[in-house]
Amino acid sequence: MQIAISGGKGGTGKSTVAINVAVELAKRFKLILADLDVEAPNDHLLLGVELQNEEEVNQFMPKFDYSKCIKCRKCAEVCEEHAIITLKDGTPFLMPTLCSGCRACEIVCPVPGAIQEGSRLIGHTYVTPTPYGFTLVTGKLREGEERSMPLVVAAKKRLKNLDYELLIVDTAAGTGNTVSKAIEGSQLLIAVTEPTPLGIHDTELILQLGKLMGIETWVVINRADLGDVNEVYRRAEKYKAKVIAEIPYSENIVKTYVSGTPIVTTDYPEAEIFREIAERIYEFLRG
Amino acid sequence: MQIVIASGKGGVGKSTVTASLLYLLKDEYRLIAVDADAEAPNLGLLLGVTEWEEEREHVGAKIARINTETCIRCGICQMRCPYECIYVDDEGNYVVNELTCEGCNVCGLVCPVPGTITLEQVRSGVIRKATTKYGFPIISAQLDVGRPESGKLVTEEKEWAKQIMKEQNLEHMIVDSAAGIGCQVIASVGGADVAILIAEPTPASLSDVQRVYKVVQHFHEPAYLIINKADINPGFTGLKEWAEQEGIPILGEIPYDSAIPKSMSMLRPFIEAFPESKASQAIREIAEVIKQEIIK
Repeated sequence: MQIAISGGKGGTGKSTVAINVAVELAKRFKLILADLDVEAPNDHLLLGVELQNEEEVNQFMPKFDYSKCIKCRKCAEVCEEHAIITLKDGTPFLMPTLCSGCRACEIVCPVPGAIQEGSRLIGHTYVTPTPYGFTLVTGKLREGEERSMPLVVAAKKRLKNLDYELLIVDTAAGTGNTVSKAIEGSQLLIAVTEPTPLGIHDTELILQLGKLMGIETWVVINRADLGDVNEVYRRAEKYKAKVIAEIPYSENIVKTYVSGTPIVTTDYPEAEIFREIAERIYEFLRG
Repeated sequence: MQIVIASGKGGVGKSTVTASLLYLLKDEYRLIAVDADAEAPNLGLLLGVTEWEEEREHVGAKIARINTETCIRCGICQMRCPYECIYVDDEGNYVVNELTCEGCNVCGLVCPVPGTITLEQVRSGVIRKATTKYGFPIISAQLDVGRPESGKLVTEEKEWAKQIMKEQNLEHMIVDSAAGIGCQVIASVGGADVAILIAEPTPASLSDVQRVYKVVQHFHEPAYLIINKADINPGFTGLKEWAEQEGIPILGEIPYDSAIPKSMSMLRPFIEAFPESKASQAIREIAEVIKQEIIK
């Protein structure tokens, strides 16, 4: 089983909801939380743990053997990223940061061995045990790299070798194809939003994505007292998404957030809201 | 001059701070605003833009499609897709997931039946232009959901902005970047003269701003820091210590102020909606420093 926590706009509380729900549901399932916000992964900080079991993510990169290259330019022509440029005589050169590692150049190269296996470090994945009875899997893109898709794919591949009953995916902000890649495979999508016109605008985009992907979508309104929640309800209804919780702005939430303590492990009254969200998810998963 | 606003982490106040800065700089300078958060564009909303004067479709994304009539169901495409975007549907047909496809065409190249897999150009989004009620123009991009290439959309919108700068003889481009450190942010930071980083005093925001600073360093741009929600986490000194270590000048600190979410709901820059609020006093001082230190 897999559920995804997303929301469109950044900073709405995706990670806060994800880690707290994970702590609660880990009492009932063998659980993995995957932080697939590979450009800005923060779940480990919110859980107060240091990332462990680092593995490099190396991406294929063509290495030209100029003694074999016949300068036919096919590699450059086929490269959709325009990562290969050719000199006047057809000699190919690679611009590494544009290369997506897709191997299209290697596939079309007519001379065996003219394009050799090169690789480039584009980031890391981590598998970190937490004190809360679940494992955190994290993807982290290397600074200066443009493409987050290969890192999301690499983190998902690492997940395949791990044993779990329930996977909770925490996605990046945004609504592009890397977010849909992170969500892919989920039975439930939870969009965390805030009731400002900005939050609502971006949530509508994620609701569209949920609809296109055919995934049941719920909405959690964070900082619910800082705007007009009725508008969120109206938008959610338009996409047949249920609003399942309202979380008020609270200094206790901020306190636990900055200290790396999931609020559900404390006695603060706000903890109950997160426990109820987890309960709703549990009921959904049980059918 | 081109100034980029970046933070790494989402929701720390890039767009709110940018909107108020634009408001404070608009009378002295001829500006253009660029909302470079193509997957969650908000700056136009904050500047009260309700109608766009011009809209350009961006047809650039490519998506692979499989012709099920001629497909021999060999599965090679699925095996070779680097991003695992090809699945088998209930009827046994190989299908490309259009919401995750990167458009690399590997499937088309390895398919043994010519013409079965084609790469089709699709719309990746729109870029829009408006004149704000404050007099300066804004360019804003919006990626269609589930599409690749948000970075290219940002590059394109900056090109359009440059063209308008020439036509209207404008001086400064203010670019409000996306969260993260990927293609959209690289396209936003690339070509800028100065980067203004925004962070809040939390471990998560510190971690993310450190990452985006590395991107800024890669382009050898001078960086400045604004600390937003400066008082939400008293006792956290990591952010200032980091700025000091790196030699990043701090332009100012904006306290947490309920006037900001209120102004967001009113779709107005907080400096205009609540000019006497604590946050407004702080941003006024920051704007003065920007005039003296950055724009000169």
